[in-house]
Amino acid sequence: MRFSTQILFSCKALGCRIFIAGVAYLMIAGCASSYVVLLENQDGTTGKVIIKGQKGEQVLSIANQGAPLDGSAPAAPVSKDKLNKDFSAAIAAQPRLPVSYLLYFRKDVLLTRESEALIPKIIAEAADRQAVDISVIGHTDTMSTIKLNERLSQQRAAKIIALLKKKGINFHAITLESHSERNLLILTPDNTYEPRNRRVEVLIR
Amino acid sequence: MFRVILICSMLLTTGVWAGELPPIGYVKNITGEATVTTKGDIIRAKVSTPVYQSSVLNTRAQSSMGIILKDATVISLGPETEFAIDEYAYVPAKNKFKLGSRITKGSLNYVSGIIAKLQPDAVTVTTPSGTIGVRGTKFVVKVE
Repeated sequence: MRFSTQILFSCKALGCRIFIAGVAYLMIAGCASSYVVLLENQDGTTGKVIIKGQKGEQVLSIANQGAPLDGSAPAAPVSKDKLNKDFSAAIAAQPRLPVSYLLYFRKDVLLTRESEALIPKIIAEAADRQAVDISVIGHTDTMSTIKLNERLSQQRAAKIIALLKKKGINFHAITLESHSERNLLILTPDNTYEPRNRRVEVLIR
Repeated sequence: MFRVILICSMLLTTGVWAGELPPIGYVKNITGEATVTTKGDIIRAKVSTPVYQSSVLNTRAQSSMGIILKDATVISLGPETEFAIDEYAYVPAKNKFKLGSRITKGSLNYVSGIIAKLQPDAVTVTTPSGTIGVRGTKFVVKVE
């Protein structure tokens, strides 16, 4: 009891700046009521969060470290209990993460065998999601003219939408996009044959 | 020509323009009670409720809501939270990207999407005491 009173006192006195390394996370637990915590991505990597607050700038780059939103204190570890208490509801409400598939074409609008084999996986991925929102995005390589590629890119996407619908894909919204040769996966000069650019991306959200 | 002007002015006066903007995302799950407010229209949120640029999302006590935006940004709100998407542009074909959002109270879980990957400085979350910049990551934020 006396211990926590003391911490409360020092929090007030120091304006949330605790200088004892061993209790650094108490800065967040005890004082900062508005704060951000960096978490690990699903693929195991961790990005960065940059805070520009009224009292300074801070950068978070280590998972499970947090800092007040006003920028008044540097990153410090946040306990599991604290994370659970403040964020379990928000984290539990996280929808299933989107997944994207790349389908490749051996010629014009003809899918490669490997990509054809992906179609059932796409159908299955959409099957048990809610309010499924799908984008089907056509691309080409830089062979031929821009005008013809715009048409081809559109045709590829339309063909995949028709195919997915024919196979009974579960969806709430499905949108066709066509990027033609403006969004190359593999950068090439103009008029270059590149099978990896002849593709349709299917993004399932 | 006259007819075009007439139709335009009819659309303007009936406010159809706003309604015709495509959604930037959808509500994916709901626990308890939540609303999506767009240009003054308060809609009780359910699975598949559309979210637009300028939509404000609110959850009540013991409630939560998850949404996914066009660029695959995944956002979920804890109870008693207010979160707004003020600016949203996702036009990869024209290299146009922007995701400006704001949390005024409550708790938020954020998984960044394609915009944060392609143009990291285009993604911000504004809070009452500071602004968060997002560099391809997952984070949680609480505002009291």
